[in-house]
Amino acid sequence: MKSRFLSRRDFLKTASSIGMVTALGGIPVDLFASEGKLVRFPEKTDLILLTSRPPQLETPKHFFKELITPNEALFVRWHIANIPTSVDLRTWRIKIGGNTERSFELSMDDLKALPKVTYTAVIQCAGNGRGLFNPRVPGGQWGNGAMGNVTWGGVRLKDILAKAGVKGDSVEVSFNGLDSGPLPTVPDLVKALPVDKALEEDNIIAYEMNGKQLTMLNGFPARLVVPGWYASYWVKALSDVTVLSKPLETFWMNPAYRIPANPCACVPPGTTPGKSVPINRMNTRSLIIEPSQGNRLPMGKEVTISGLAFSGGYGIKDVIVSVDGGKTWKEARLGKDLGKYSWVLWSLPWKPPQKGKYTLMARATDSIGESQPLDSLWNPAGYMRNNIEKVDVTVG
Amino acid sequence: MKKIIVFATLASATAFLVQHPAPMAQAEETGTVHSITLPTIPPHLKEGAGKDKVMTLCAICHTPDYIPMQPRLPAKTWEGEVHKMIKVFGAPINEEDAKTISSYLAAQYGTGEK
Repeated sequence: MKSRFLSRRDFLKTASSIGMVTALGGIPVDLFASEGKLVRFPEKTDLILLTSRPPQLETPKHFFKELITPNEALFVRWHIANIPTSVDLRTWRIKIGGNTERSFELSMDDLKALPKVTYTAVIQCAGNGRGLFNPRVPGGQWGNGAMGNVTWGGVRLKDILAKAGVKGDSVEVSFNGLDSGPLPTVPDLVKALPVDKALEEDNIIAYEMNGKQLTMLNGFPARLVVPGWYASYWVKALSDVTVLSKPLETFWMNPAYRIPANPCACVPPGTTPGKSVPINRMNTRSLIIEPSQGNRLPMGKEVTISGLAFSGGYGIKDVIVSVDGGKTWKEARLGKDLGKYSWVLWSLPWKPPQKGKYTLMARATDSIGESQPLDSLWNPAGYMRNNIEKVDVTVG
Repeated sequence: MKKIIVFATLASATAFLVQHPAPMAQAEETGTVHSITLPTIPPHLKEGAGKDKVMTLCAICHTPDYIPMQPRLPAKTWEGEVHKMIKVFGAPINEEDAKTISSYLAAQYGTGEK
């Protein structure tokens, strides 16, 4: 897709030159990460390096002009260093069991013999945008590139759990993958869903992304997909599905991946929440992709403000855009609808009336009325950023 | 004479191959086995007292590049991070080394606050 404002080369030049610029207090100005540190990992295109062991790689901004994120461009996030680099499908199995009537193993052939489900869903890291938190917080310093929109193919988790027979006193279902800690003392990454959530219709064990096998770094041979929920539950290289009669209380469930137990999942900046709950459904977001922060636009020429929007599984009802810092708003045109879990691309033509500085903003609302706050909400782990973002441009 | 030349050519070719191995396939599909080879990316840390401890002890579990990725943090926060590594993840770091590492982090990547 051709940029409406800049050639791709100019765009990259601008992105890398402004990306490192930070405002007072060290908060990055740009909503997306600098493309200064690009690396190429197996089965991946050039991605932004956060860390190499374990790999954490961010998707460059220009991929967000697309409705579907290509497999080679999807972000990568592993928690512990011993990640699978070689898998033999002859021996790989998913073990199903725990508090069930039966336990059994599934091979890739077994999975492929079950009815296949396909849908498009946003995958987003809980810490997407953490690098923009003010005051800043420790953790993976993602810009907004820890997200993607992928068409997943796989089998329904509830069909598999039905075969196992979940016992009546079950409370959670846990998921483990092939990754492990470099020391035996490092807590293994095991995540658990409440049993009612695990039994919902749309969770799948996915063995395809965008019609191809999963890339190793995105969870080959199969991963859990919990559409609408943050990616911390989408366990990669799945090896065990275990039904539990008691809640899982290991490090990655508590204290990790917890949010303040209130509707905004927020606390006053710099304070510690009292009660916390496990992170769960995504909130509603919209991001302006073009133009970029600091762009200079031609005077008297129509340009297009464009971006993407998504919610925690309830589609997008509308996106409104402001070019005057939030004083007035206009409805954007929504692009192709790929379903309630997908993001939607939106656009609004704009002819700047006069020279000067403009603050562009976009606000999305989903089908159950959930929208975005004006000010960024804060929590100590840097999760769930979803405020209305601002993009400053100069005309003329 | 000819044999010697052939030998010499082979020897230099072998030496060349040893010095410049063919780039390894990054991803491979052999029968039912799917494999990748991860690149090794050396970390970049600021020079300073205690860097050697960071490079050896922190690197047991993760690339020290986790450190320069962070925003500047107060000394207390860095100390908390080091203790989390020991208590939660079982990092084999003794008290003295923990102090050395915390001081390095605060000095090189701190806010100046205690």
